[in-house]
Amino acid sequence: MVNRMKKTVIARQSGWELRDICVELGGTPVLRHIDLRLEPGSWTSLIGKTGAGKSTLVRLIKGLIPEFTGEYRLAGEPIARDRKGRVRVVPEIGFVFQYPEHQIFETTVEKELSFALRMRGDSSKEIAMAIRAILPVFGLREEILHQSPLLLSGGQKRRLAIASVLIANPGLLILDEPTAALDPVSRRELLRVLRAWQRGGLHGERRTVLFISHRIEDVAEYSDRVALLHEGHLLAHETADDLFLQRNDLLIQSGMPLPEAIELLRLTEHLSGRTVSPSSCGEADVLDQVKEAWNARKENRRNGR
Amino acid sequence: MLVFDQVGYYYRRGQEVVKEVSFTIQKGEFISIVGGNGSGKSTLAKLMNGLLLAKQGSVALGEQATSDPDQARDVRQTIGLVFQNPEDQFITTNVTDEIVFGLENIRVPPEQIGGRVQDALRATGLERYADAAPHELSGGQKQRAAVAAVIAMQPQFIVFDEATSMLDPEGRNELIKLMRDLHAQGITIIQITHHMDEVLASRRVLLLDQGKLAFDGPTDRFFREVPLEPYGLERPFAVRIGQQLGWSGEATADWKGRAASQWSIE
Amino acid sequence: MNASDRMLVGQFIERDSAVHRLDPRIKIIGLLLLMIVIMMMDSRSGYAAATVVVLIILLLSKIPLGFYFRGLLPLLPVLILTLLYHTTLGKGQTLLVSYGFLHITVEGILEGVRIVWRILLMILAASALTGTTRPLVLAQGLETLLKPLSKLRVPVEQFSLMIVIAIRFIPTILEEIQRIRLARRARGFEPSNRNPFSRLTEFIPILVPLLVSTARRADNLTFAIEARAYGDGRGRTIFRPLRLTKPDLAAGCLILLSIAILLVIDLHLSNTRI
Repeated sequence: MVNRMKKTVIARQSGWELRDICVELGGTPVLRHIDLRLEPGSWTSLIGKTGAGKSTLVRLIKGLIPEFTGEYRLAGEPIARDRKGRVRVVPEIGFVFQYPEHQIFETTVEKELSFALRMRGDSSKEIAMAIRAILPVFGLREEILHQSPLLLSGGQKRRLAIASVLIANPGLLILDEPTAALDPVSRRELLRVLRAWQRGGLHGERRTVLFISHRIEDVAEYSDRVALLHEGHLLAHETADDLFLQRNDLLIQSGMPLPEAIELLRLTEHLSGRTVSPSSCGEADVLDQVKEAWNARKENRRNGR
Repeated sequence: MLVFDQVGYYYRRGQEVVKEVSFTIQKGEFISIVGGNGSGKSTLAKLMNGLLLAKQGSVALGEQATSDPDQARDVRQTIGLVFQNPEDQFITTNVTDEIVFGLENIRVPPEQIGGRVQDALRATGLERYADAAPHELSGGQKQRAAVAAVIAMQPQFIVFDEATSMLDPEGRNELIKLMRDLHAQGITIIQITHHMDEVLASRRVLLLDQGKLAFDGPTDRFFREVPLEPYGLERPFAVRIGQQLGWSGEATADWKGRAASQWSIE
Repeated sequence: MNASDRMLVGQFIERDSAVHRLDPRIKIIGLLLLMIVIMMMDSRSGYAAATVVVLIILLLSKIPLGFYFRGLLPLLPVLILTLLYHTTLGKGQTLLVSYGFLHITVEGILEGVRIVWRILLMILAASALTGTTRPLVLAQGLETLLKPLSKLRVPVEQFSLMIVIAIRFIPTILEEIQRIRLARRARGFEPSNRNPFSRLTEFIPILVPLLVSTARRADNLTFAIEARAYGDGRGRTIFRPLRLTKPDLAAGCLILLSIAILLVIDLHLSNTRI
């Protein structure tokens, strides 16, 4: 128990580190020489086209891919493998799969929420406290605790499934397209909750998040760092601002769309002939700069060029 | 012409998911039906070709009511439906069989089936995948196979019920491009979506809010006049910046379905 | 990771073999007769002969034998349980071990082996049918064979569609199982894959979400089928109707002959009853 706690603290301070990781599935290389260190307390987004290796990479980090070459270091030490050289599932990591609501398996909301805690042997008092703390974060009421999850609405089920992972207070949270098929307002709301949690909302300490999303606008808006995969290679691992503002040629090269705000920025630079340099790749910042550029141009025209 | 007249529907009595909805869709339109999660959009889609029968009011295709069981086959043939989940609408074990299935159902003579299958494969760009099994196809390809199965039946209307929502950007682009091609060939397209930039491809919008029709009008008026956040929606980027920068003109979507604009800048 | 790599029973494998080309109706009737004979089988030489027949069919199909045997792996727990059941609760005089309600007898062991052997032969023969016949053709064959029943208002057409759908969704459902298992492991569940019993208990909680999602799929699928104007399946045209050719008939005779030989071996040539 003490050992586990100690290891947890170290992992949270020194992060998760992959060195020269290669994975082959059925004879084809899926990941090639990946070097990646997840900064503790950061929100890293993982992007790339379908088939670029995103799911394999996150599953590897969680320990769900037993066979790989290279070194996976957790808390500064190589991750433990058993006699056959296989790794065990890394418990310090929470993993939200796509369409998590389809994987709900318990008969009541309470059991679903407490599953991970029961598996690691928390006392029933600890479990009750944890449940009471997490319900309001996800906008779930206490009355539903003894209901069957099947009776909840689609949105509630999604939030319950995610809460059931977050409740274990994982040091690293992996989110595989958590907002798929949600309407825009529900999507924003869910991202807001996850962001608040990551910033230390519930447990008072920043968490590490690894986020897979097809919506490049959300990636630009929420990430501290962005890792770009292309055909199994890690093409970039930079801050969101650096990647989207300076190195967007990498995105184009790997067939990824640019965030709409960045496209507008490029268009504005092209049409107005002046350099526009926002302070970040956030939509608001870009828009402010674009507005300024157009207004200046309008002004110039009015003053007879 | 598809006419909804005061249509109501409930799964459980007292909990209506569609209430007093009336509208008319003409042949050749490209129309979007929008609304947040749980606004009744999908129920509306299933009411269109009689998969669900209205509990109140009536749905009619031209002169004939879609509730008439004798006409069911004709109605299904006239209005094709593509659903949200690519996995759950692939009935048979390969793409060709999938297209053949519907044709056999509407009693196309066997000697014509081969040709129609080829045409449908070509129209959806799936020639190379004629013998592919569903688990060998990407989500986007599966959705295109669903479209192929529908267009082989030569419908006048196709309803896309959130057909892009489970696809990656690439699959989504392919499907949107296909919708536009089909519309150009004279097929009426009805798309149900909550991706607002997809809405820009259409000329008319129906907004559903808790089962009621909250707006029915041209797309540009929809974006100009309707506050979208209360309905779980948001303005597409091109519209937002256009409005913020005070540009005049109209936003449209480019072929990828991403928002583009045809604003006049000064 | 791909479920279809592991899933074998019920999967069609494209090859150019005589078994593949054979009319599905003949294959179905042949399989049926073969199964009946295997069930009736009573003698050692009968078992040996049936094993040879099944092996010949497997070899003729040109599908690698490894494919068939890998297909048996998921069924191993069931086979082992059957064997244990008959071994420990079997009746008979030649007692080997007796402890409480456990009576292990020579007869019991033999009975267990016999039953498992029979099941194995039948599964192999059945996967030879599904491995060499496209699901749609298989369903078509069944439909034409059962056609007379439709006069008795048996929904033959719908039954045949059911088979197609069942085969089509096997890989999908396996993938789903895999996903749910991963999700459980990701939340701290450690499967102990030491013995088949604990694997069975692991399976039970997976059933809940699996049933829920299968019900959801079934709903969606009903709409998809109806949307394509299926109706009650009657009066549909048939794109590629089945035709019996001369080689089909010849093969049919051959199958009848070998089954007759099997019966003769089992009943007459044998005095070594087991």
